Amino acid sequence: MNVLFLHDAFPAQFGRLGQELATRHGWKCTFIVQSLSSCPTPTPEMLQAVEIIQAPMTAEHRTGEGIPWPQIYGQFLDQCRSVYEIIKARPQLRPDLVVAHGGRGAPTLFLRDVVDCPIINYCEYFFATSHRDISYRIDLPPAEPAPFFPRCINAPTLASLVDCDAGYSATEWQRSSFPARFHPRIEVHFDGIETSLYRPGPAPRTIGEKSIPEGTRVVTFVSRGLESIRGFDLFMRAADRIARVRSDVLFVVVGGEEIHYGWDKLHTGAPSFKQWALSRGEFDLSRFIFLGRVLPEKLAEILRISDLHIYLTAPFVLSWSMLNAMSSGCVVLGSDVPPVREVLRPGENGLVAPLFDVEVLTERALAVLDDPAAYAPLGLAARRTIEESYSLEVCIPPLRDFFERVAARRKSR
Amino acid sequence: MPQDPLNVLWVEPTFPGRLGAAADWLVRRRGYRAWFYCHTLEPRAHWPASVGRGLEVQVFGVGGVARETAVGWSRALERSLCYAYGCWEVLEQKRPRPIDLIVGRSAGLGSSLFAPVYDRAPPVVQFVDYYFHGRANDLADEAGPETPPAYFHWRRSTTAIELLDLEQAALGWVPTEWQRGLFPAEYRDDLLVLHDGVDTSRFARLERDGSPRPARSIAGRAIPASARVVTFVARSLDRLRGFDRFLTLAEELLRARTDVVVVVTGDPIVRRGLDVAFHNKDYLGHLTAARPPVDPKRLWFLGAVPPSTVADLLAASDLHVAPGRVYPVARSTLEAMAAGCVVLASDSAPHREVIEHGQTGLLADPADADGLLRQALAVLDDPAGHRPLGIAATARVRQSYSQDACLPRLAETFNRLALPGSGGGRP
Repeated sequence: MNVLFLHDAFPAQFGRLGQELATRHGWKCTFIVQSLSSCPTPTPEMLQAVEIIQAPMTAEHRTGEGIPWPQIYGQFLDQCRSVYEIIKARPQLRPDLVVAHGGRGAPTLFLRDVVDCPIINYCEYFFATSHRDISYRIDLPPAEPAPFFPRCINAPTLASLVDCDAGYSATEWQRSSFPARFHPRIEVHFDGIETSLYRPGPAPRTIGEKSIPEGTRVVTFVSRGLESIRGFDLFMRAADRIARVRSDVLFVVVGGEEIHYGWDKLHTGAPSFKQWALSRGEFDLSRFIFLGRVLPEKLAEILRISDLHIYLTAPFVLSWSMLNAMSSGCVVLGSDVPPVREVLRPGENGLVAPLFDVEVLTERALAVLDDPAAYAPLGLAARRTIEESYSLEVCIPPLRDFFERVAARRKSR
Repeated sequence: MPQDPLNVLWVEPTFPGRLGAAADWLVRRRGYRAWFYCHTLEPRAHWPASVGRGLEVQVFGVGGVARETAVGWSRALERSLCYAYGCWEVLEQKRPRPIDLIVGRSAGLGSSLFAPVYDRAPPVVQFVDYYFHGRANDLADEAGPETPPAYFHWRRSTTAIELLDLEQAALGWVPTEWQRGLFPAEYRDDLLVLHDGVDTSRFARLERDGSPRPARSIAGRAIPASARVVTFVARSLDRLRGFDRFLTLAEELLRARTDVVVVVTGDPIVRRGLDVAFHNKDYLGHLTAARPPVDPKRLWFLGAVPPSTVADLLAASDLHVAPGRVYPVARSTLEAMAAGCVVLASDSAPHREVIEHGQTGLLADPADADGLLRQALAVLDDPAGHRPLGIAATARVRQSYSQDACLPRLAETFNRLALPGSGGGRP
């Protein structure tokens, strides 16, 4: 099988999948991407297993500043055109299947003119006009595009979705974010967690130059960007309360200062949501370690020494970090929202608390920190959940079968 | 089913555009109150009767890319959003209320996309006319290898505003089954198929069965009693409506019969952006420069005319020709049928939905110029023998495509949607 993967970045959702399909099943996997990502960083094995073609960066990626919301569809079309031209210039590609990521629309719109094979969309998410995702944090100062952008942000997603042969979402909740009319077209296949990397066990209790005494309780918070949609400000408020009660807690925060979703800059008027959140409290920053973004191996080590992992997302795409933490055997305290509940069953393999209820969050966190042994079974159960339902070993075979089923449609046409 | 009076906000780039006539009917015949928000006003001759008497028209401006005279294909949605935003700005300022229902139509420009933002959101009905396919229908069927890829990119990407509109609508509304079938399968079951209706009261035959035909005149020009009048009516004289095909046929008819007078109405400038080769160009001039008319005295070009002139022309027509490409049935075709014309149309799926060959009109393969000519001459040779086609056409329109047939159903649908406990508005 010859699969062409399309994504903004490599490896992202497809890199490890492509590596597995290439090395275990002998598939030829070609990637057209705009950038090599550090989230996670591609491994040498991965780079050896697949072929990567780099597409020109879109304006948004070039500047890192984003683009005005009315232009998002035009940017998507530029990306579609770029992919079209790359494939047109390489007639030897001849894929049996195209698998395209559609975070803001899979850039497949013009491919029917240059490939003769089925197209699968990775249906990551369909934004709501209110009460979810970027429209959820109504507690923050209003942002001018808030009433408008959610009504047009899905244009790229819709355009590519109506054109694809099949789609898949990573979770049931993500699939349910799409209009019901599209559900028959979308299957659910999780990408797969690397359980051999994210595993429980001993790890060095040092972070950079700092060594962490055995008695210190480590609370972790991980997010690609420290932003409102992932509840960074709420975490800081809870952390502050925890720190005031217990003097033996160290908070390790992983994540960059960039904003990936929503209007944090407009909400706050500050260039960094992290800085804005920090400016709104009297935090004892000596109790925090802010690491920025880290390599997967480092993240795995950090999660291994975590006594409590806090994950405070708004109702939005579930982060890998929560599943990585579960895979590492962490006790996870998540926000009580449907995407979290799909994986995390309170009292069974983790804990939840209402997103905005800092008091309850603090109370539950302190309960864990007061008696880690009593909560350790939750971490063990979390690990089992990932091993049984979300590991690469479990997820890739059905995903491979799905790809084969869809690719076979060309032969039957 | 109830058809109570409702407060309806209508949003369309142009007034009266497509929806103005339906809004007018609902005001006059069902006691509605209507606010019609638009960007552009057509000449007053086109305005319906209830303007200022239950139908209030409000113009909104546009900013950003929508102010540019030409917009690159990849910025079409951005332009639509500028229209939607312009509409919202005036709504925010004027705040018409109460509003029970919003009815929008994007028409390739802007829409009601942001209208529900300004208040507690009433249900939205979205009128959608057309869904482009990458390489099929309208002019794409004939696009040759010289056509630049950007043309197909545009076709494949320009439906975004329709998709957004439909996703945020309580109900999508489409005029014909053929148009419904253009939309992705996922949307079809949720689309109400209902024509917005022809005002049949405007159209009547001059002659009555058994009585002599009264004297005919069109736009002040008398037509000899013995003349056979062949008509072509379009908003603009373009390839989409088959003006090139018509002109070829007209030349042959003028050659074949000395009593034929051909009358054409429509703007010679091509207004539809989808005809990229001739957009904003004089297509009539292009065709006649290449091939001067055989007999200009018998080939009348009236230009763009008011609706009353179209009605006069259709009343005088012996043969109405609609040789358009595969595209939604032109309103003028239905009007010609309502006027009792014998209609000779291209044999295409949209026309077959409306015209049954040999019963309510004639259909001909547009690629077969001889066949088209043969059928046209047969009608002109024996108008009386073909009269039953015109009579049946009128009955067909009155039964299925007249305002009085269509709009009561629309009022029922609106009622179900707008009034609490109505149980939804799916067809």
